[in-house]
Amino acid sequence: MTDHGDDELSSRTGSPDKEGRVPEERSLLHQSLAVRELIDTEVSYLHVLQLCASDIRSHLQQLPQGDLDVLFSNIDDIIKVNSKLLHDLQETAAREEEQVQLIGNLFLEFQEELEQVYKVYCASYEQALLLVEAYRMEPRLQREIQDTIEAVLPQAGSSGLSFLLVIPLQRITKYPLLLQKILENTLPDASAYPVLQRATSALQDVVTNINEYKRRKEVASKYTKVEHLSLRERLARINVHTLSKKTTRLGQLLKQEAGLVPKTEDKEFDDLEESFHWVSLCVTELKNNVAAYLDNLEAFLRFRPQEYDLDIPGGPVVQYCYLARDLQLQAFPEFKQRLEALVWQPLCSLAKALAGPQNLIKKRLDKLLDFERVEEKLLEVGSMTYEEEAARHMYEALNSLLVAELPQFKQLAVRWLGQILCTFVTLQRDLAKQVLQRAEGSLAQLPHHHISDPAFRKLVEDALGQTSHQLHAFQENFEKVLPPPTTQPLLPGAEHQVQALLSRYGPGKLYQVTSNISGSGTLDLTLPRGHVVALLQDKDTKGNSSRWLVDTGGHRGYVPAGKLELYHMVPREEELRGQARPHRDSQRQTPEPTLASVPSVPAVTQVVAVYPFVARSSHEVSLQAGQQVTVLEAQDKKGNPEWSLVEVNGQRGYVPSSFLARAPGPALWGWSLPS
Amino acid sequence: MRLAPSSRPASSGQRGAGLTSLPGDWLNPEAIPQDRVAAEDPGGRARFGTMSWIPFKIGQPKKQIVPKTVERDFEREYGKLQQLEEQTKRLQKDMKKSTDADLAMSKSAVKISLDLLSNPLCEQDQDFLNMVTALDTAMKRMDAFNQEKVNQIQKTVIEPLKKFGSVFPSLNMAVKRREQALQDYRRLQAKVEKYEEKEKTGPVLAKLHQAREELRPVRDDFEAKNKQLLDEMPRFYNSRLDYFQPSFESLIRAQVVYYSEMHKIFGDLTQQLAQPGRPDEQRERENEARLSELRALSIVADD
Repeated sequence: MTDHGDDELSSRTGSPDKEGRVPEERSLLHQSLAVRELIDTEVSYLHVLQLCASDIRSHLQQLPQGDLDVLFSNIDDIIKVNSKLLHDLQETAAREEEQVQLIGNLFLEFQEELEQVYKVYCASYEQALLLVEAYRMEPRLQREIQDTIEAVLPQAGSSGLSFLLVIPLQRITKYPLLLQKILENTLPDASAYPVLQRATSALQDVVTNINEYKRRKEVASKYTKVEHLSLRERLARINVHTLSKKTTRLGQLLKQEAGLVPKTEDKEFDDLEESFHWVSLCVTELKNNVAAYLDNLEAFLRFRPQEYDLDIPGGPVVQYCYLARDLQLQAFPEFKQRLEALVWQPLCSLAKALAGPQNLIKKRLDKLLDFERVEEKLLEVGSMTYEEEAARHMYEALNSLLVAELPQFKQLAVRWLGQILCTFVTLQRDLAKQVLQRAEGSLAQLPHHHISDPAFRKLVEDALGQTSHQLHAFQENFEKVLPPPTTQPLLPGAEHQVQALLSRYGPGKLYQVTSNISGSGTLDLTLPRGHVVALLQDKDTKGNSSRWLVDTGGHRGYVPAGKLELYHMVPREEELRGQARPHRDSQRQTPEPTLASVPSVPAVTQVVAVYPFVARSSHEVSLQAGQQVTVLEAQDKKGNPEWSLVEVNGQRGYVPSSFLARAPGPALWGWSLPS
Repeated sequence: MRLAPSSRPASSGQRGAGLTSLPGDWLNPEAIPQDRVAAEDPGGRARFGTMSWIPFKIGQPKKQIVPKTVERDFEREYGKLQQLEEQTKRLQKDMKKSTDADLAMSKSAVKISLDLLSNPLCEQDQDFLNMVTALDTAMKRMDAFNQEKVNQIQKTVIEPLKKFGSVFPSLNMAVKRREQALQDYRRLQAKVEKYEEKEKTGPVLAKLHQAREELRPVRDDFEAKNKQLLDEMPRFYNSRLDYFQPSFESLIRAQVVYYSEMHKIFGDLTQQLAQPGRPDEQRERENEARLSELRALSIVADD
C-alpha cells in the first residue's frame, strides 16, 4: 500500500516555518493511510472468510457434519456482522472530514455484536484445533483437505486448515491495534479524538472479555460435567495424589468447624449460594408436583364410566355418555399433551441446567479449602509451590466465575419459571373453555336446562327421594316372597297325639316344630323336629312374644316361636290363588265355610279316612286310615262343619271332617293342562 | 311315546316294589327308563324341563307344570335384570374411582402453588410473590369448587346407584325361593302322579289324598311367587329410566358449573398475569430461547 504521499513528506521536512504544519500534515496522511488500511484489510478479510464458508467448507464433504460445525463454528454469523461493518465503513468514506469520527462511532456501535459473535468462535477454537491435529494424523485425509484448500486459496500454504481457522482470531485482536494507529495520528483536539479513544478502548475490552470468556468456559467445562462413574471407576481414580488432596481438604474443613482456623467468610458468595439453592429447590419441587399432577390426570382418564350400558335409549344418560366420551377422546388428551410439551419439558430442561452450577459450587468449596491451606502454609513458610499457586488461581477463577454468573442464572431461571407458571394457568383456562364448548350442545338438550342451578338441585333431591321410596317398595316386595310352606310328615305314632290335641284345641291352634328344639330353662321344652303341639299363649309371662306356651299333649312349656310353623290339617277348601303375600298367620287357619267355592266337583260319596281316629264318646265313631266311609252329613247337629256324620263298618257316628278325604280328588288347579 | 295305562304296574315292577326303590334310584338315575323321562305329553308338547342338572331324577312329573312360554318370559326378564345389576355395580365402582382421581388431581394442583408460596424466593422478588399468591388463591378456590362438584356427584349419582344396586340381593333371593318352590312343586307333583297310577285301594287313596293335600299349598305358593315376580320384575327394570335420568342430568350440570368457574377464575388470572393468547409454537420457541439463554452461561453444562 505505498503511495506518493511518502515522497511529498520527505520533501517538506526541511522547512522550519512549516514545522507546525508538517507534523500535522504527516499525521493526517498517516491517519488516512491507517484508515485505508483498516478498510482494505477488512475487505480482504471478509473475502477470505466467504471463501472458507462457502467453497472450502462445502468441498470438505468427507468430514462429518458435526466436525464441520466445530471447525467453522459460527463463521456465518461472523460474516454477517463483518459484512455490515464493512458496508458501513465504506459509506463513511464519502464523508471525508467526519470519517474518523464516524468510524469511531461505528465501532462503538458494533462493539456488542462483535463481542458476542467472536466470543463464540474463540471458545470453540481449541476444539477445532484438536480436530485439525487429528486429521493431520491421517495422511490421506490430510492430503485431500490440503488439495481442496490449495485449489481455493493457494496462499494458505502447507498449514492449510489451521491457517484459515486462526484468521478471525487474528482479525479481532487487530482491531484495537488498527484503531490505535489511527488514534496516534489524530490530533488530540480534533473532535474525533475522544470518540476514537473510546472506540479503541472499547475494542480492547472486547478482546479482554473474549479472553475472559474463553478462560471461564474452560474452567467451567472442566468441572460442570456431572460424571456418572461406576464404583470401580471411582476407585480406580483414587491415587496418592487425589487421596492426599481430599484428606487435606477434610482436615481443613474440620479445623474450620472446630474453630481452630478462621473460615474465609464470603458473605457475598454465601448469599448467592443461598439464593441459588432456593431457586434449585423451587424448580425441583415444581417439577415433582407437576409430575404428580400429570400422574393423577392419567389415572383420572383411565376410568370410563360412560362405557357402561344401562339399556337406556335416550335422555340425559345418553347425553352424558356422548359428552364424557368426547371429553376423554379429545379435550383431555389435548390438555395433557400441551401440559407435557409446554410445562413438563421446560421444567425438565431447567432442572437439568441446575446440575452445572451445583457442581461448580461444590468444586469451589473444595478449591477454597485448598486455598486456605495454601495461605496457612504461606504464613508459615513464606512461599508456595507451583501447584499451590495453581490451586489459588483455580479457586479465584471459580469464585469469580460463579460470582459473575450466579445472579444471571437466578434471574433467567426465575423469569423462565414465571413463564412456565403462566402457561400452566393458560392451559387450565383453555381446558375449561373446551369442556364448556362441548357441553353446550348437551346442556341445551337437557330437560331442565332452563331451571336455575339451586332450583335444579332441589328438584333432583326431591326426585331422588321419591324414587328412593319406590326402590324401597320394590325391595320390600321382593323380600316378601317367602319360603314355601313345609308340611312335615307326621312322626309315627304321633297321629293319636295329634288327634287328641286337635279335639281339645281345634285345628287352628296346632303348630309343628320345624327344627329340633332343645330347652334350656326349667319351663322350656325339648322337642324333636316334626312334633306337633298346641298353642296356649303366644307370649310368655314377661310379654316376650317370641316365646310361646304350648301343650304337647303330655307336657306344657315354652318353645321358641321361630321354630314353630302352623300345622296344616290340610283343610280342604283353601283359596290361595291370587294371594300375593301368604302370611303365616293369615287366612289358612279358617277353612272356607262351604264347599261351593270348590270348582264343580262331581258328587262323590266315596270318601276315605286319611287319619285314624279313636272315638271318645258314643256319638263318635272310630276310623282307620284308608278306611272307606260314607258321609251322611257334613256337619254336626249344631251346624259345625268341623264334624261330619259318617257311616263306617255299619256304625254311625261323628268324626272330624278334616280327617276325611275324597278320592279321586278334583282336577288339580294350576297351569292349563292338555285336554 | 306314551306309556299305556296297563303297562304301569309293569313299569313300577321294573323299578322294584313301590316306594322303597326310590332311594336306590337316587343313586342310579339310569334305572329310570329313558323313554319315560323324555316322554311327550298327550297334547304333543315336549316335556319341559327335564332338569338333568338336578342330582335326583326322581320326582319328575309327567305333566308339564310350567309352560315354556312362561319360563321363557321369566328367564328373559330375570336375564335383563341380571345384566342391569352387573352394569350398575361396575358403573358405581368406576364412578367412585373417577371422583377419587379427580380429587387427587385437584389436591396436587393446590400443592403446586402451596410449595411455591413457601419458597423464600417470594420474599426476595415482589413480582414472583404476586404471581404465586394469585396462583395460590386461584388453586384453592378451584379445589373448593371441585370438592363441591364431587359432593354433588356423590349425592346425586353414586349414592342412588348404590341404592339401586341394593335391591338386587332381595330380588335374587326371591328368585331363588321361587326356584325352590318350583322344585318342591315338581317333586310333589311327581309323587301325586305316582299314586294316581297305582290301583285305587283304600290305603292308596288315602295316600293319594294326602299327597294332593300336600301338593296344593306348595303349588299355590309357587304360582303366587311366580306371578309376583313376573309382575314386579319388569316394573323394577323399567323403573331404571325414571331413576337414572335425574342422576345423569345432575352429573352433567355439576360438571358444567365447575368448568364455568374454572374458566372464569383462570381466565381472570391469565389476564392478570398479562399473558395474551399465544399459539403453542410461539410458546415452544420461547422455551427454547430461555434454555439457550441459560446454556450461554459458562456455569451451565451444555450437553
